[in-house]
Amino acid sequence: MTRRLSVLGLLRAAVIVGALLWTLGPILVAAVTSVSTQSEITASPAVWFPHHPTLRAYRALLPTGAGGGGAGSEAHQFGSAMLTSLVVSLETTAVTLVLSILAGYAFARLDFRGRKVVFVAVVSTLVLPVFALVVPLFRIMATLQLINTNPGLVLIYVSAIAPLGVWMFYSYVKDVPVGPQEAALVDGCTRFQALVKIVLPQMRPGIAALTTIVFLASWSQFLIPLLFAQSPSLKPVTVLITEFVGKYNTDYALIAAAGLIALLPPALLALSQSRQIRGMLSGGDL
Amino acid sequence: MVGDPGKNGGGGRRVRRRRLREQTTLGWAFSSPVLLIIGVLVLYPLIRGLLMSFQSLDLSSGGDGSFVGLRNYSAVLRDPQTEAAALHTLGYVGCAVVIEIVAGLMVALALNRPFRGRGLVFAALILPWALPRVVSGVLWSRIFNPDSGLLNSALIQLHLTHTNHAWFDNPYAAIFLISLVHVWGVLPLTTLILLAGLQGIPANIYAAAELDGAGAVRQFRTMTLPLLRPALGIALTTGTIAAFAIFDEIYVLAGSAYSTRSVMTQVYLTTFSGGDFGQGSALAYLLTLATAVFGIAYVRRLGRAAP
Repeated sequence: MTRRLSVLGLLRAAVIVGALLWTLGPILVAAVTSVSTQSEITASPAVWFPHHPTLRAYRALLPTGAGGGGAGSEAHQFGSAMLTSLVVSLETTAVTLVLSILAGYAFARLDFRGRKVVFVAVVSTLVLPVFALVVPLFRIMATLQLINTNPGLVLIYVSAIAPLGVWMFYSYVKDVPVGPQEAALVDGCTRFQALVKIVLPQMRPGIAALTTIVFLASWSQFLIPLLFAQSPSLKPVTVLITEFVGKYNTDYALIAAAGLIALLPPALLALSQSRQIRGMLSGGDL
Repeated sequence: MVGDPGKNGGGGRRVRRRRLREQTTLGWAFSSPVLLIIGVLVLYPLIRGLLMSFQSLDLSSGGDGSFVGLRNYSAVLRDPQTEAAALHTLGYVGCAVVIEIVAGLMVALALNRPFRGRGLVFAALILPWALPRVVSGVLWSRIFNPDSGLLNSALIQLHLTHTNHAWFDNPYAAIFLISLVHVWGVLPLTTLILLAGLQGIPANIYAAAELDGAGAVRQFRTMTLPLLRPALGIALTTGTIAAFAIFDEIYVLAGSAYSTRSVMTQVYLTTFSGGDFGQGSALAYLLTLATAVFGIAYVRRLGRAAP
């Protein structure tokens, strides 16, 4: 018994260590690259640890950045691009969560004609690649005068991510026992109250998972903002970083530093949400 | 949801009818915002794009938007580049999905039980997803670079090889390595979906199985896997769709090289480099169709599970 458990424990530890090495290896490469000089980066054989570590790349990213680095004014827009990414991702997360919870509950618990067809239609849009939609979508957004606007960008993100949210909440709501909801309805609660007071609290791990998924998905968007948010005030950090790739000379250190800073908000969110999931695990079910 | 109407008599049936009407109103009210957004921003462009695939829209040779029937489709299907791109894409999908599901399941199972520092490990494993594609692309190209690449340097310094390898010269190796880079970015999502599924399995059924003397392997086979089915379905579907649409990683690591080109790369080249929006749309539609064929099994299972 104990021996079997320890074999399993070793296996789990090995999987976790392997996953960490696989995940963090390239990120360590980024960390080393961000403090290396350009000649160390292109040296062969590779320079594993920089002989003259420098914070030049990080200084160049400050709004009033000194340090130059050939990237010119793009590097100085980094702060505002981070803010743009943050605002758009938070808005997308809030809107997607509310709309997916409502629709997921409706499809799972409310008996209305056509719900099955509509539900399958919504979830089926998950198989559509963005490229199939981009060109006509551009015309539609232009007609609605939503190109280069914050709501336009958020709406496109929501339309791409909401089907996954609806699907996830549909299956979570299905798993919540019906009894207490029925009892609440008999006691005079409205459907909406039953949803908020009884169903939602039991779906907290699911909500935490979807919050993380939606925020990260919006944070890493590239093609959509490239096409639909070209004005400097709406440029997210993903698009700005591509502008650091020069035609003749790419500033690898600047890209690595910017990428590492851009990692922080989603990483902090994932950390806080994992606590939530863990809290539910110890406090729920039993 | 409501008790047997026979028991309640006529009054019960009236109550039932009123509740059904209320559910219809609420059902549409709750789902209409999502339906509106998807209708305007996904389904309508989908139809517009379909129309474009039947039009002559080659900007380089004065396409006038006239209706040309299936000519765009037949041109695309006759093109040997399409066949090569389709084979490469199947290679990417096969490699990526198998690795994602197996590795994602292993990591999710390892993370499912509490241990010290689990939150930190979890956050660390999510990182690749948050790293902008351009950055991860540049990082991996630094690793695979034939001249000053870190992989070559490491292998030479460990005396495993003596010469630099051009990793992307062998097309099979190139497709496998690009798939690995793709998996690096997608694995967090797979793990997260599977972990959420695992956490939804009540712990007490394992306690019961433990009392019955079921071993870990049997518990996994008879309880975990069947209960994890919906989550596996979601992970498999999202993974397959993402792999079918693979583009960014190829573009950064191998450009538009013929030997690694995916269907999406071909769509991009046809539409934005070639300027033929008609043929580009036709190819994008064929890809959508192929993705849907693979996705339909899950959607159908979903339809059967739906009320």
